[in-house]
Amino acid sequence: MMMMALLRSGTSTILPRYPPSILPRFLHSHATSFGFKQVQEDEKSKLVGNVFSTVASSYDLMNDLMSTGLHRLWKDRLVSMLHPFAGMKHLDVAGGTGDAAFRVLESINSVSNKALQEGLADTKQETKIFVCDINPNMLNVGKMRAIERGFGEDRSLHWVEGDAEALSFADGSMDGYTIAFGIRNVTHIEKALSEAYRVLKRGGRFLCLELSHVELPVFKQIYDYYSFSIIPAMGELVAGDRASYQYLVESIHRFPNQETFAQMILDAGFEKVEYDNLVGGVVAIHSGLKL
Amino acid sequence: MLKSSPAARRLLAGLVSSRRIGSPFSLLQLSTAAFDAASNPSTRQDQPPAHQAPETSNSREHDGEDHRRSTGKRGGVGYEEEQARVLRAALSHVPRLGWSVTAMILGAKDAGISPSIVGSFPRKEAALVEFFMDDCLQKLIDQIDSDMELDKRILSDRLSKLTRIRLEMQAPYISKWPQALSIQAQPANLPTSFKQRAVMIDEICHAARDQGSDVDWYVKRTVLGGIYSTSEVYMLTDHSPGFRDTWNFLEHRIKDAFDLQKTIQEATYLAEAVGAGLGNSMQGFMKRMFQK
Repeated sequence: MMMMALLRSGTSTILPRYPPSILPRFLHSHATSFGFKQVQEDEKSKLVGNVFSTVASSYDLMNDLMSTGLHRLWKDRLVSMLHPFAGMKHLDVAGGTGDAAFRVLESINSVSNKALQEGLADTKQETKIFVCDINPNMLNVGKMRAIERGFGEDRSLHWVEGDAEALSFADGSMDGYTIAFGIRNVTHIEKALSEAYRVLKRGGRFLCLELSHVELPVFKQIYDYYSFSIIPAMGELVAGDRASYQYLVESIHRFPNQETFAQMILDAGFEKVEYDNLVGGVVAIHSGLKL
Repeated sequence: MLKSSPAARRLLAGLVSSRRIGSPFSLLQLSTAAFDAASNPSTRQDQPPAHQAPETSNSREHDGEDHRRSTGKRGGVGYEEEQARVLRAALSHVPRLGWSVTAMILGAKDAGISPSIVGSFPRKEAALVEFFMDDCLQKLIDQIDSDMELDKRILSDRLSKLTRIRLEMQAPYISKWPQALSIQAQPANLPTSFKQRAVMIDEICHAARDQGSDVDWYVKRTVLGGIYSTSEVYMLTDHSPGFRDTWNFLEHRIKDAFDLQKTIQEATYLAEAVGAGLGNSMQGFMKRMFQK
């Protein structure tokens, strides 16, 4: 009951829902990383599953505490960079509880957008927003939150269970692809990127919001101290689970830095690959264009 | 840039217009980045060896956040050309929908590309207006290069003809031009629009083959820039057939500014011509005197 109440608080997770893996390129594919430890691949999904179920009950609260509420602004920024339009087909991967998808829908339905796009009224194309997540529980929670926010009757939202590395959508069927705080947890990032490339139409955009690396001299020290000392302590205090938040912080540090990840996106075939650092690099939004 | 040499002229035009010279550390980097949408790699000039165009990483400060970009070009067509195609298709919708994102979305649909590409333009509507300005500049340059009649007239006639050619390009969009002007006047877009106008005025002055130097060079361009802007605004409320009143206005302003003002050069030429004429008649007179 309390878990449901917490889940309804209107935030979503930035913690892993996928078996996470940050593969240094020289590592054999059967071994992978779990934070700073090296584990077998099949063991990892169990470990991550454990992480998720342990933190599930208070992760909304923890997200707000860890990011001091900023994660809402970061998601707003992600969707404004996407610039949704009426009639678009959008895919939000690792969308779980639907944060990014709701923002896209609200942006399309907003009054100002309607006024701007009345010239498009004759096109009559139906907006479709797909929320894809590997975990059906998260999707259920998302459906409930949709009803609460008044999107229950909205035929644009579609909840799909699926794996980022093997999407069930047709080639060239999506105008936009977003993944917010999910790509860090994908086992093979390159596969997820090439799947993203596959499902996007020509002219479609890929946008990824993820915790990233801070390079600014003094701020880096402050951030490292905050990540390694304060966050696990907060986790212990609020959620009663230090280890999961230790894992979280370690996985952020193992994720490729901004330039490396941008190169991976380029390798997947995208063009005009850019990234915007928010809060000095704590979070980065990478974008790519498929042509 | 005291004398407008051809090399200097091309450098200035190239940095801001659709022909891209592209040195990542140029002072006008902001404007080159802004003109990515209209750049045409096929006319790129010689570049220093250190500069490689497709994989260049430019960096610029952006609202206090770090912003890095690396461009990757896969296949034959780069994203800039696709963006230019979308903008060109969008121009046909502008008279109906204004300089708006809606026009760009319809342009993308016409070009057969997903309208998501509109999200990749950094300043949306401004990109469309800047593309149009670049396009007009290119058309003006093409017309200047092909038009041979400019030698015959006096300076003010040449200037007013060229300015008129340029203003006429805006005629199809005149109903929505106030919106374009307001977009160009926004603080974020002001540097780029100012540079575009400066290059255009320079182009016109140079094509009028006006031999200015030193302070005169700047004064002429500033004056012509002012006349251009006032004529542009005059055109917005001009309902005469074929914008006749605007052209009258333009000619009178240019005459006032450029003919009454006797530049040193024109005075010198006048003196030389008179001297030469007098000298010739004196020579002829003397010859006849001594031959007889």
